[in-house]
Amino acid sequence: MNELRYILGGPQGGGLETTSEVLSWAFAYSGYGVISDREYFSNIKGRHSYVHATVSAVELPRHLTYPVDIVAAMDAETVFTHFGDLREGGYLIYNSDDDNTNFTSIPSMEKELKERLASEFKALGLDGTVKSVVKYLQSSKKVRVVGLSFKELLMEIQKREGIVPSQASRYISTILVGAVAAITDISNEGLDYSLRRRFTREDLYRHNRTMANIVISIVKSQFGSELKLEQPRIKVGSVLVASGNDVIAMAKIVAGVRFQAYYPITPAADESFTLEEYETLGGDGAIIVFQTEDELAAINAAIGAALTGVRSSVATSGPGFDLMVEGLGWAGQNEVPVVVTYYQRGGPSTGQPTRGGQSDLLSSVFASHGEYPRIVLASGDHEEAFYDTIDAFNYAETYQVPVIHLVDKFLANTIATIPMPNLDNIKITRGVLAPKGLKEYKRFDLSSIISPRAFLGDYVMWYSGDEHDEKGHIDEDPVIRIRMFDKRMRKLELIEKEIPEERRYSYFGPEKPDILLVGWGFVKGVALKAIEELGNEGVKVGYYHIRMFIPFPKESITKLAREVGADNLIAVEHNYQAQASKLVAMNTGIVVSKSIVKYTGRPMYVHELVNSIKNIMKGGVREVMSYGA
Amino acid sequence: MARKLTINDLKTDVWVDWCPGCGNFGILSAMYQAIAELELEPEKTVVVSGIGCSGKIAHFINVTGVHTLHGRSLPYAEGIKLANPDLTVLVNVGDGDLLGIGAAHFVALGRRNVDLVVIMHDNTVYALTKGQASPTLGRNLQPKALPKPNIQDAVNPIGLAIAAGYTFIARGYAARVQHLKELIKKAVQHKGAAFIDVLQPCVTYDNIHTYDYYNKRVYDINEEGWDPVVKSPEEFPEKASQALIKSYESDGRIPIGIFLINPHVPTFEERYSQRIPSYLKVPPAREPIEVGGKPVITTEKFKEIFKKYVIEYR
Repeated sequence: MNELRYILGGPQGGGLETTSEVLSWAFAYSGYGVISDREYFSNIKGRHSYVHATVSAVELPRHLTYPVDIVAAMDAETVFTHFGDLREGGYLIYNSDDDNTNFTSIPSMEKELKERLASEFKALGLDGTVKSVVKYLQSSKKVRVVGLSFKELLMEIQKREGIVPSQASRYISTILVGAVAAITDISNEGLDYSLRRRFTREDLYRHNRTMANIVISIVKSQFGSELKLEQPRIKVGSVLVASGNDVIAMAKIVAGVRFQAYYPITPAADESFTLEEYETLGGDGAIIVFQTEDELAAINAAIGAALTGVRSSVATSGPGFDLMVEGLGWAGQNEVPVVVTYYQRGGPSTGQPTRGGQSDLLSSVFASHGEYPRIVLASGDHEEAFYDTIDAFNYAETYQVPVIHLVDKFLANTIATIPMPNLDNIKITRGVLAPKGLKEYKRFDLSSIISPRAFLGDYVMWYSGDEHDEKGHIDEDPVIRIRMFDKRMRKLELIEKEIPEERRYSYFGPEKPDILLVGWGFVKGVALKAIEELGNEGVKVGYYHIRMFIPFPKESITKLAREVGADNLIAVEHNYQAQASKLVAMNTGIVVSKSIVKYTGRPMYVHELVNSIKNIMKGGVREVMSYGA
Repeated sequence: MARKLTINDLKTDVWVDWCPGCGNFGILSAMYQAIAELELEPEKTVVVSGIGCSGKIAHFINVTGVHTLHGRSLPYAEGIKLANPDLTVLVNVGDGDLLGIGAAHFVALGRRNVDLVVIMHDNTVYALTKGQASPTLGRNLQPKALPKPNIQDAVNPIGLAIAAGYTFIARGYAARVQHLKELIKKAVQHKGAAFIDVLQPCVTYDNIHTYDYYNKRVYDINEEGWDPVVKSPEEFPEKASQALIKSYESDGRIPIGIFLINPHVPTFEERYSQRIPSYLKVPPAREPIEVGGKPVITTEKFKEIFKKYVIEYR
């Protein structure tokens, strides 16, 4: 086999991230491509959390799908929540001490899931215990069941390594690692590398290594390694293994960001932590990461910093962005380059704070009182996010406008292998700067659309949120109002002229598709896999990936829509209204009337997207996808 | 290079459009004099202001001016100062701006002790919107624009500054320009977050807190023997408590002068600098980020810094 998919599940705070990290790194070290999505509640300890991963021998995967080959469960709730995700002949790894646990007794499980399970178990004639589900999987789905008594394994590790009983539960994460490693036959070298990387303390490494060895020997002796992946054939040299948060933090450092302000919010905050971790840039530099009292302070401190010439940004999510909107208007009015890294999550209001979505597109394009130019770009995967982050700052400084960089929770919390970025081709463009030694400096000089920028400290200058004259002083004269307004808004013409059409979108798929999916952001990975699968069935589907919303890729979408026929366009988005399709209509007059949407907060999966495309081809106009716990 | 500036050098060609007799004129005079006497370099001096009558002051002084949003002058000032600690940053802000819509920022700055000067134009009303009650207007008072007496209590700005952790806390009076000038000079010279509450008669909307009202009541606590300096970190709780008591004095007199100077708290810049050795040597605003259009972080350096994320496929 060349692709492996697994689910790892357990209580939030129970060590699942460790399991996931160790496995991801072990596979990556052995030369495989990995994508690993983490789904969790807004909760610190106890609620159901799971990791859903794709490991590939042939590509750096960007997609997730069902059914999976392995479900590895730390607890009974995982068995109940995910048994239906297993393919026929897949593997269930679980704690056999849970055999008699009944789903009705699990307090962390939401009532709706319990109701669904109750009717499903009734129909299947199961009594609702873990054991009944396990037996059903064995007999009806030919699932191979790896039942391990966690209690016995933990006793064993206590005995062998002299661990006090209260600490033993920490090793549950490695029980899952060992079991998955055995079935998939991860190279010992890869596993060892990964364990050492995760457990830098020698004693902890040793304990976990021992635990993994115990489990591997038990599982291998009973089950062999049936899910062994074929030898990897990915030829990319070195890779980064990182979450979206981390990739963007790294890109900011390359881009020259030296000031970031933030207020804690899921799923953006980890980016700021990563920046802070590298605040000395390896020893000889400085990035100020400023945790403010709220998002109002974050955006306005970032703008203040940008006035001094530093590359400056904020990282936030929907509720935080809403608070930042007034500040963004000041940046627009005062032509300040500032970048908002916008991690979308499920809204409105608090919505689904730890789940993903793409429902803030219209807000990021329009949010404002008054009018000012801005640039909005969106990234489809980790690699795009890296380069887009750098572009965002170049655009911000070149055009002296605020830039909104849209990403989402899916990207933020997904760990992926990406090709090592090539920094040799990266350009840093700081835009038009005022020369030193001028007799008089006018910040808003009207002789060009982009007035040369000087930094606070270089000259005496003025800024004002009020309409202002060339020097920056308040001015309500109607003629200067028009001249200043035009100067600002005409940047949009400049942006339109200078940012090439091909920068604003990507097209994937056959030369003459019969169906064209129109999507953006994290839809990319799943869409690419879906069109590949449909292509294998002889269905010619293309994917049009929007990478910039301002400026909008009008020409290419117009041309493609003409070729394919507007009736054959399908918007694919993580929001209710198919928001990008509204912007297609606004920018081109083309009405995309068919849509496939998902707003459960969970990622889109290949199998459901393929299915939905087929339904649309049979005459459907709107598909709402819902797979995933 | 410092050059001797006259007050005329510090004036801009913008007409000062405050009401005749406005208390802001006294504050502006004190600003001119303090900047001139301290010989601050105009391009390295930044006046950050908020919204309202006081916000316009940034346009009247010939140093760099950043006229910001209602409530947000402190975040702008902090962003500017942290990105380039070489700049001298003064904030002129109204009482509604600082203690109403922007109160969270006021408290947070105290906790950080960023080296800034905050000058609050305290006129008890929102003047530019025609005289509504501000957070410093006492309960039951009814300046002439109010349809009904105020039913909200006044905040104690000095007390709040003490509790928040400001390390230089003073009160001035707009009509005592020389005294106010000295306060501003000392606040600029102080290393850390400095707060000056300036009593400022609004001649149009506040018919209660008039020049006459203040002239009869203000007295200088330092002249009367109050020593504001905290001598040792151990002395702080006692000194702060005494200063707080002073701020609540209610014998009909209004104390002005310096309430507290606490030199024992590291500035926010020093706290960063402890973690980031190069910070105060090369401020972020002056750090080179490109060489010939290429990032200063080369592929090699990138791999070195982020080695924990890198895997070499074999």
